[in-house]
Amino acid sequence: MALLRPSSRTRRRDTSGNRMWLWFMLPGTLWMTGFLIASLVLVAVLAVGTTDELGNPRFGFDLAGVRALADPAYTEVLARSLGYALLTCVICLLIAYPVAYTIALYGGRYKHALIAAIVVPFFANYLVRMYGWSVVLSDDGPVLRALRAVGLADSGTKILNSGFGVVAGLVYGFVVFMIIPLYAALERLDVSLIEAGRDLYGGPVRTFFFVTLPATRQGAAAGLVLVFLPAMGDFVSAQLMGGPDQIMIGNLIQDKFFQGQNWPLGSALTMLLMLVLLIGMLGYLRRTRKDEAEALR
Amino acid sequence: MTLVSTPSTTAPAGTSAPVRKHRGSHRRPRVLIAVTGLFFALLYLPIAVVALFSFNSQKSLTVFDGFSLRWYRAFVHDDVLIASLGTSLRISLVAMAGSVLLGVALAVGLVRCRTRFGSLAGLIMLVPLITPEIVTGVASMLLFKGLGVPLSTGTVMLAEITFSISYVTVILRSRVAALNPEVEEAAMDLGATRWQAVRLVTLPALLPAVLASAVLIFALVFDDFVLAYFTTGVDPQPLSVRIYSAIRFGVQPTINAVGTLMLAGSIALIALALFIPRLFGRRGGLDILSGE
Amino acid sequence: MSPEVPPPTRRALLRAGAGSLLAAAAGGCGFMPAKKPDADRLAPVDARVDGDLVYFNWADFVDPSVFKGFEKEYGVKVIQSNFDSMEGMVAKLNAGNRYDIIFPTAKWAQRLVRGGRLRRIDHSRLAHSQAIFGTYDYFADPWYDPGSAHTVPFTAYKTGIGWRRDKIGELTGSWRDLWNDRAKGKVFLLDDRDEVLGMGALSLGLDVSTGDTRDLDRITSLLGTLRPRLRGFSSDSYNNLLNGNALIQQAWSGDMAAMLYQAEDPSVFGFQAPKEGTPINSDCYAIPWNAPHPGTATLFIDYMLRPENVKKNIEYIGYPMPVAGSEKTYASLVEPFPECLVTPDDLKADVSFRNGDRAAEDARDTAWTHVKAG
Repeated sequence: MALLRPSSRTRRRDTSGNRMWLWFMLPGTLWMTGFLIASLVLVAVLAVGTTDELGNPRFGFDLAGVRALADPAYTEVLARSLGYALLTCVICLLIAYPVAYTIALYGGRYKHALIAAIVVPFFANYLVRMYGWSVVLSDDGPVLRALRAVGLADSGTKILNSGFGVVAGLVYGFVVFMIIPLYAALERLDVSLIEAGRDLYGGPVRTFFFVTLPATRQGAAAGLVLVFLPAMGDFVSAQLMGGPDQIMIGNLIQDKFFQGQNWPLGSALTMLLMLVLLIGMLGYLRRTRKDEAEALR
Repeated sequence: MTLVSTPSTTAPAGTSAPVRKHRGSHRRPRVLIAVTGLFFALLYLPIAVVALFSFNSQKSLTVFDGFSLRWYRAFVHDDVLIASLGTSLRISLVAMAGSVLLGVALAVGLVRCRTRFGSLAGLIMLVPLITPEIVTGVASMLLFKGLGVPLSTGTVMLAEITFSISYVTVILRSRVAALNPEVEEAAMDLGATRWQAVRLVTLPALLPAVLASAVLIFALVFDDFVLAYFTTGVDPQPLSVRIYSAIRFGVQPTINAVGTLMLAGSIALIALALFIPRLFGRRGGLDILSGE
Repeated sequence: MSPEVPPPTRRALLRAGAGSLLAAAAGGCGFMPAKKPDADRLAPVDARVDGDLVYFNWADFVDPSVFKGFEKEYGVKVIQSNFDSMEGMVAKLNAGNRYDIIFPTAKWAQRLVRGGRLRRIDHSRLAHSQAIFGTYDYFADPWYDPGSAHTVPFTAYKTGIGWRRDKIGELTGSWRDLWNDRAKGKVFLLDDRDEVLGMGALSLGLDVSTGDTRDLDRITSLLGTLRPRLRGFSSDSYNNLLNGNALIQQAWSGDMAAMLYQAEDPSVFGFQAPKEGTPINSDCYAIPWNAPHPGTATLFIDYMLRPENVKKNIEYIGYPMPVAGSEKTYASLVEPFPECLVTPDDLKADVSFRNGDRAAEDARDTAWTHVKAG
């Protein structure tokens, strides 16, 4: 990338091209607004609606659904989901950094094959993979057997139907989304910087924290977003690998929209979840805008 | 702040790439390699289980009774499953094409356009990412019902495209931002119109990233069951929906066979993607991830 | 070039907002209350081919060879879709999908009949319907569909307790066995609101479909005492028991029968229908009001009722069908678990899940949230 500064001549020319860019963006934006926003507005409006006998949602003005949100069970489940999602992010980071680092910096000519090897399982159906993971983690499965062999577990220990199971499921499902952006960032990193950092800071750990980590923070941020968001709304992991105390907000929403046919409550829960996610995303949004502007300077 | 600003891939003038590699590789860290090895083992263990039990002669998912191809035979004779597979492939292809087209245009426009409309579009584009899939599913179904549009494979495609545009735009945005606008300016200085400049300079430079996002979207849409579940009509349902309907009551071994086949197919595809550029003298296709 | 991207102007936001509201309003039109279809539009039709069969049922609930036979004999295709819950089925119906044949459970059949959403079926036009209605009086005029005017019974089943004999020995024949100390930490309940609340109700001697808040509070407290011993809510009773994740599981009788085919040694399992009462449920064939090919649907029902097809299906899914002549097939199938049998005496109406009014359903829904989420 060249480091030339844009001249004043360029600035003037750029604003005149805006019209073409607008045309570029028009189809995509129109589609998104019309489809996506409209459907979400519908959900929001139905949150104050009712359900008829046959389970159809109906417009109306009934705050019963919203008021039901006050039930402490919902806040508890929401808090638990947040906890699981954050824990998943942390664990994914702890796994993704070593793996991406090793492949990017020590992979040599097997680099591409190794990354491909990580992405390939992703192509098998998600549900089938999770079911396979639950079999692997089952009481008599290979993982627990190995742990028992080294004395880290006894015959009563179980992973499935516990918090460990759910987080294990979430991590397994989403760790790929953390590895890919980190790998991209690490690959772009100039190794001589790490060498310089080692000379400066003396140890590999301090080099990591003061050189590598800040240099790859964009990749880490992208990975965090790509893991946190779907993890919050996930319901498959808790369903397949969780017990009664591990219900996540995604399961409740699924329950409300289906088993309860409670459209107002389901919609209200949805709005609540999205509010939480939006707040979390604001930080990321500000960061991307800043970084993008920086990159263009 | 930090020790380094925006990382750059270009080595300082005078040095060449091979020197970088040498410096790293003479110190092989055992711990890191062990961790990576363990990770790969755990990553593939479930896949191995699925593949293994797809050859099981009995229906069990815990006891391997003997080698048999019966589940593969059952799949090949199961017209319904095959129809589902076909539907899934069609949906994924169309969604891939649609979202890539719209997403590329959106990404390029977003980064280049410095008006307020641009930033609004940027915000809207992120909404699918914060919306849980079950919500987009329900919302899409409600919207179609409200508009009186009957659900069908077409509605699934429409819904999938909407959700996928965000992914494409997010992936491409940083790539477009990393491109040097000066090259476009230079092309225009040489007499090209703005549109020609984009077509002949920007888009080809984006091609690897576009391909990467296309592959990603294909995989995501093929796998997706939540959104598809809510928007399918009476046409043969996508494979993922079929699997999801059954999973609460246990996975049938035929599904294991399908999963293993899909895995084998994708391995073949990716191997192709890696080798074909090599045949043409270029480096392997995964450079797109590193933004080269 | 400006360093920061300017935030959207108020005007841009207003425009976008107006645009989306317009689209939403257009979308909302579909939620105005719809008219009930006229009674004459729901008249029964003859059993004859008038197109392909658009079929909507649980996954793997009919022997594939039966479909093949139907397709071959009548030269039509069977287009299959699956639902994973009754509510999912109804949601798709409400979304406007046009299916030819659906399979609601009793309580849902009642809702659909009340809403005028099912086409009437004339049993006299079905050659094999006498096998059901001639023998099983219960279905001649069931509570959920007076005169069976809109439905034909498909399967009937009980909910009981399945357990691992080899690991925890014998049980006492009561719902309280779920609290068995030897199975602590490996107990599963079905992931089904009616089943779980129903089990609690029966244990306390209450009405199985109660919507009374005091009753539901007692049920929730009772189930609260089970929670520490509970491993999970799962409808995959089959695999849970087979792979040892569960030592005891609330289970449908049909799933236990299906297990008999797969278990190497069936005697390690047990199934009991507890003495406090076992919920009996049934599901039925039904033709929605907007079915595109009701003739083929009627023909399909008749085809499914042929003795050889009934036998095939019973053996494939393990659920009994109230068809005269099939009882022997089923009895031999469930020999190790005789309590799986559903006799005409069992089909007493008071142990079925019924519909309550809106308040009762909401109360049950809230209770279920508390049971599940703790």
